[in-house]
Amino acid sequence: MSLELRGDSSDSPASAAPASEQRVSNLSDTSAPRMADVIRSRLRRHLGFILISLVIIAAMVLTIVTQLSPKEDGAVLSTRNAAPQGGMAAAGILEDHGVAVQQTDTFQSTLSVLDRSADSGDGGTTVLLYDPNGFLEEDRLRELLDSSDRLVVVTPHFQTLRGLGGEIRQAGVAPEALDTVEPGCNAADPQAAGAISTESAFLYAGDNGGWTCYRAAEADGGIYATTEDEQLIVLGSTGIISNDLLDEHGNAALVLRTLGAGGTLVWYLPSPSDISPSDSLPTLNELAPKWVAFLGPWLALVALLSMFWRGRRQGPLVTEPLPVVVKAAETAEGRARLYHDARAVDRASESLRAGTLVRLAKSLRLGADAEPDDVVEAAARKLGRRPETVCETLNGQPRTERQLVHWAQQLQGLEKEVTEQ
Amino acid sequence: MAISGRFVLLALLGVVPVLMFPEWGTVLLVCLILCGLLVFDLMAAASLRTVSLERSPSGSVTLHMGTDSTFTITNSGRRRLRASVRDAWQPSAGAQNPVQRLDIPSGERRRMTVRLQPTRRGDLKADNVTIRSFGPLGVAARQRTLSCPGSLRVLPPFHSRRHLPSKLRKLRELDGKAAVQIRGAGTEFDSLRDYVRGDDVRSIDWRATARRSAVVVRTWRPERDRRVVIMLDTSRTAAARIEDEPRLDTGIEAALLLAVLAERGGDRVDFFAFDRRVRGRAGSASRGNLLEQLVQAMAPLDAELIELDWSQIPGQVRAVSAHRSMVVLLTALDGGAPEEGLLPMAAQLMQQHVVVVASVRDPMLGEMQEERTTAAHVFRAAAAERALLEREAVANQLRHLGVEVVDAEPHQLPPALADMYIRLKAAGRL
Repeated sequence: MSLELRGDSSDSPASAAPASEQRVSNLSDTSAPRMADVIRSRLRRHLGFILISLVIIAAMVLTIVTQLSPKEDGAVLSTRNAAPQGGMAAAGILEDHGVAVQQTDTFQSTLSVLDRSADSGDGGTTVLLYDPNGFLEEDRLRELLDSSDRLVVVTPHFQTLRGLGGEIRQAGVAPEALDTVEPGCNAADPQAAGAISTESAFLYAGDNGGWTCYRAAEADGGIYATTEDEQLIVLGSTGIISNDLLDEHGNAALVLRTLGAGGTLVWYLPSPSDISPSDSLPTLNELAPKWVAFLGPWLALVALLSMFWRGRRQGPLVTEPLPVVVKAAETAEGRARLYHDARAVDRASESLRAGTLVRLAKSLRLGADAEPDDVVEAAARKLGRRPETVCETLNGQPRTERQLVHWAQQLQGLEKEVTEQ
Repeated sequence: MAISGRFVLLALLGVVPVLMFPEWGTVLLVCLILCGLLVFDLMAAASLRTVSLERSPSGSVTLHMGTDSTFTITNSGRRRLRASVRDAWQPSAGAQNPVQRLDIPSGERRRMTVRLQPTRRGDLKADNVTIRSFGPLGVAARQRTLSCPGSLRVLPPFHSRRHLPSKLRKLRELDGKAAVQIRGAGTEFDSLRDYVRGDDVRSIDWRATARRSAVVVRTWRPERDRRVVIMLDTSRTAAARIEDEPRLDTGIEAALLLAVLAERGGDRVDFFAFDRRVRGRAGSASRGNLLEQLVQAMAPLDAELIELDWSQIPGQVRAVSAHRSMVVLLTALDGGAPEEGLLPMAAQLMQQHVVVVASVRDPMLGEMQEERTTAAHVFRAAAAERALLEREAVANQLRHLGVEVVDAEPHQLPPALADMYIRLKAAGRL
């Protein structure tokens, strides 16, 4: 240990000088250092920084990729929703049977998918439309109906039905008492599927021919209604498509047969962006003058420049070698805390007593090696008291912290009396 | 590369055309103009490859006194150098104006003076000088850091100098008293002079009287050319701060006062700082002013976080002085287990020398010991009492061995040690 230290510190002044000379000569002699060397040394110097940057970039890429990839949502009947209300199960089964299922949420994307599938022409296209908020307008509905081979609409509103030609109308709600309902018609799909659940279903009726199946008792309409050419099919229940009830009764059969007729199924759930823009109020951006759009970015650029201006250091940081300095009473304080934590009342009282005796002996001029009894006697004589009382004070045995504080103050008082007299 | 506030201001002014003609074309144009200005200024700035630096040595300065550090910058390039120069002294050197603007025409040189106000003892360093060379527009600058090592030795302040006159007076009184003193231990023959009334008849030199008509007495003076060896402990205990000063600095003050006093008293002084090896050495034997040598030797001392190797001390003392000497050990009495190191070593040294152990007492312990209002305070008082008792025990053991112990608070230690020296000298124990 000692040898190492000796070697280190004796070398340091000697080794510092040649190193600095070397640096000076490097700077002045080789005005054009070799580029490769410079790059290599910089690489080495900033290796840690480069590694950290790589890790951060990798993390960012990972985050972006995971954000962009399709993920679950909570929308009712969504093919990416595995909750009881979702449509993941139905979509999954259809895909397993070779139907290309594509979920869309805007009218434009739906049309483009329809165009593409029309081009490829693999056995017709079915569109599932579920628009509980009535986002789609009449002309769009009609366009959709025209461009798809088969349009399956789930629980449409009056508005939606009217937009689709008005051949099918609403006919009330399925009675609560019924659990299942039989097809009761000769359409191919219901006939094959058999009974289905009626849970919270709406009823629809076709006016101009077409099928109206699954009529509830005495009701006018049924859960399954078609136009005459069966291009438009209305399903009155979201329940039968949902993950929750798909496997009950004939639900699955009806849904899969209805939706899986064509080679492609477009699963269209309209979103607020389908509302035509002419309806909404102009945004703040549209109201503001044109230069406002340029002000922010330009000021940001100026801010960046001023950061560079103030942040660029003139030369590297200078270090200050600080010496180690410790407060001297620290050890005594540490010991005091140890006493306190251990409630070492006896140990503390021993120390206090010994200290008082030594100081009393000194002030009574008894010499360094006076016996405690001599000190007691001399102090008693000086104070004009009986030695027993002084002895009692000195030999107090405090048991608790409260007693210790009291006794320590008594000792101090005694000491003060002796020294002041 | 660096940009100036002027460039930022220009960029801010660029907002006016951008807002007046809010088009992407305008933005592009303004950006191009700004970039053009930047590139032009950078290209037109003086090259820093042709700049050379030369620093003149700074020497040494006493702590808390100001000094100047100068270096010259030579511009051997073809363009005028408009520079902002930063001299990178370490913070405790207290540079008042480390960044200065200089304008150096081609082929000329300028001197830059940096005012330093050091706040710490020791060797303070400046490694680099960084130069920014601005272009004629002053919007952008090239920047380069050149190595230009400089060093300033900051000497201990010697505050205890103020005690010197009174102690010297005491020493002279001792001298004067000794002139009529009868012969005894610690005195040596000084001269013969005529008897005057009041002189001790016992000091009449009868032989000399017989050779002359008048009565002649011998005079004596305190022995001179005694040796004082001062050992300063730089081990871990020296790092302890007592009041506002590390123990090491108090030791330096005490050693300086004692050394100067002993030198004036006609004695030879040797000093060394030691922990496991000698960290610094000075003495009357070498040529030159003793005080100067001492402060130069003490300036770079720092407490090392290692244990003092007591077993080497007798050898070190022998190497410095083969004769009987007054050996002063400036160390700590409460440094762990002094029984193992200090006591045996002191016993060994006592066989040949007079040993004085000087140590700083912590006034904080006394305060802790007197404060007894709460349980926490009483435990603190007990711990302080324990520490004081341990010190006292060590001091007593040393006194039993015949070692003189000087135990004083930081500001009292230098005069107390000087008094001890005067007392020993008066008693003829040197």
